[in-house]
Amino acid sequence: MGLSPVTADELLVDDVVGTAPVAGKSPTQIALERLRKDKVALVCVAVLVTLVLLAVFAPLITKAMGIYWDVTDPRAPTPSEVIDFDGFPLIGPPFQDFTWDHPLGIAPGTGSDNLAYLLYGLRTSLVVALAATVFSTFVGVVIGLLAGFSRGWLDRVLSFVIDLFLSFPALLGMLALAPIVVSNFSGNLDELARAQFFTLIGVLILFGWMFLARLIRGQVLSLREREFIQAAEVIGVPTRQILFKELLPNMVAPMVVATSLALPQFVALEAGLSFLGLGLTSIPSLGKMVADATPYYADYGLYLWAPVLIFLMLTMALNLLGDSVRDAFDPKTRR
Amino acid sequence: MIGFIVRRLMSSALVVVLTSMFVFALFFLGPSDPARPLCDLNGRCTPERLAVLTEAMGFDEPVTEQYAIWAKGLVSDRTVDMGAKYDCDAPCLGISYGSREEVSTELKDKYPATISLAIGGAILYLVIGVTLGTLAAKVRGTLADRGLVTVSLVISSIPYYVVALLAWIYLSLEWGIFPDTSYHALTDGIGPWAYGLLLPWLVLGLTNSTSYARFSRGQMVETLGEDYIRTATAKGLKNNRVIFKHGLRAAIVPVITIFGLDFAYLLVGTVFTEQIFDIDGIGRWGIRALRAPVDFPVVAATVLVGAIIIVIANLLVDILYSVIDPRVRLT
Repeated sequence: MGLSPVTADELLVDDVVGTAPVAGKSPTQIALERLRKDKVALVCVAVLVTLVLLAVFAPLITKAMGIYWDVTDPRAPTPSEVIDFDGFPLIGPPFQDFTWDHPLGIAPGTGSDNLAYLLYGLRTSLVVALAATVFSTFVGVVIGLLAGFSRGWLDRVLSFVIDLFLSFPALLGMLALAPIVVSNFSGNLDELARAQFFTLIGVLILFGWMFLARLIRGQVLSLREREFIQAAEVIGVPTRQILFKELLPNMVAPMVVATSLALPQFVALEAGLSFLGLGLTSIPSLGKMVADATPYYADYGLYLWAPVLIFLMLTMALNLLGDSVRDAFDPKTRR
Repeated sequence: MIGFIVRRLMSSALVVVLTSMFVFALFFLGPSDPARPLCDLNGRCTPERLAVLTEAMGFDEPVTEQYAIWAKGLVSDRTVDMGAKYDCDAPCLGISYGSREEVSTELKDKYPATISLAIGGAILYLVIGVTLGTLAAKVRGTLADRGLVTVSLVISSIPYYVVALLAWIYLSLEWGIFPDTSYHALTDGIGPWAYGLLLPWLVLGLTNSTSYARFSRGQMVETLGEDYIRTATAKGLKNNRVIFKHGLRAAIVPVITIFGLDFAYLLVGTVFTEQIFDIDGIGRWGIRALRAPVDFPVVAATVLVGAIIIVIANLLVDILYSVIDPRVRLT
């Protein structure tokens, strides 16, 4: 047995992982690996991909099937053609047989096709939630970075603003803000629809950025005392580069986790506000469809259950995936 | 301690004032005419009527002056001119555009329903959640524990109002298990009161208990790993006594602080519950006021009262925290 020096590399290669070369893994890679092994997460991703594809291709699907959610569309059948005197549809469920012309039937009263409305409602849900998540994450990260990195008055002001928004009754604020802002745009219907849409996103952002901002601020406060940041400061790296090249990559985990937990909340809020009649009224929304269908629960269960089930699939998949993402990024959870 | 409370009270007051200014500014600085909703609410709105109302309500004055008048009404009586004149006693939150009643009187009428709903629901979810969480921690790692965590995750992933809506449709309307879901004043007797609120309580309690179960389970698992728990077990105390007497007392502190804020949010308005089960409380009242044309005084009142409740709850929780946990020093 010789006494030739053994390098650390050789030791690792021989004893731990056989002959494979050792590669360091970033926390993100470790998390992704954990996610790939998580069966719940995989099912959620599959469900979400399906729903997103349905939403993305909604115009093509509805066009191919010849169904319309908007009864004012010149190609759509007029309500008097498909709706009976009692308000129930003349074609399809609940009183006629299933027909491929309208697989989920026609909405009583309005005469719009349920499948088309559902697909477009799903589209709205996803667009609103995605926009709100992206922008509120951006605002939260920027304000959190600024507050954490700038000692002194700016930090104090920003922290106060964060606390102010956190102690504000957010649901009430959202409920109150949306209709008040929209009531200022009582112009034509198109303008109203657009105003509702952008106001809703704006309101969700306004009350959605604080949690991440506070989280990021705390992270920055602890990270900026670490050697690598001090080293960067000492060798004269510009502040902007320190913020975005040194600090930000270290905050990927909390950002991803916060985002994936925020997304389902925004979906639920959009549908909830629309359900209460305070969100979207002029463009399709799952919440509004559920609210419209509620009075018909006894005679026309399909009309109620179609949006409820799609909505449940969407929110449950997003929520459970969010939980899985959080667990994957959390070094403390053991698998 | 005193210094802490004074400072917190001051910043709390600032939050409330800023909130009221925010709501005010939103309504009056918007591009549309603030007299419009009032004008729309009562018959056809002609340009002449709009002009008369704008003049009478003082909407042509600067916003700061209007805010001053409104704020002054909170401490002294004032007369509100809305075409006709209305007396409004302090604290005056204005006159509702829709009902032409004093907003503060209506507020007092609606609050008992919301409070009843909040108290019942909150007690249920605290008790169920903490009990389940503690039991799960006691048998942690077993099938029952994992089952509970999974079920609670799944239930938490469903938006609350979907559960409430389906419960109302099927349990109340379709199958008639809870035929009557509405609010009866306590003065009508405790029976009808509890009977009408039973389903809303159950829905509120069961759906919200899941997050409490998980949270208190986490706290309990952590506490049971502490040295003093091992000591208690080692000196021969019964297992249940160790868990419920020694463990729970320490584990419940963070749970209580979260509970305080949750309860405050319930008091601010159990919006979805009241709307779905048709309970005449603050939440439903606020929603109705928000449907166009907006009943501004009611909206302002609900938001303001909501902000006050949340701010007070925040303060109380912080103080309570230092009382329950002597290690926390308020400075």
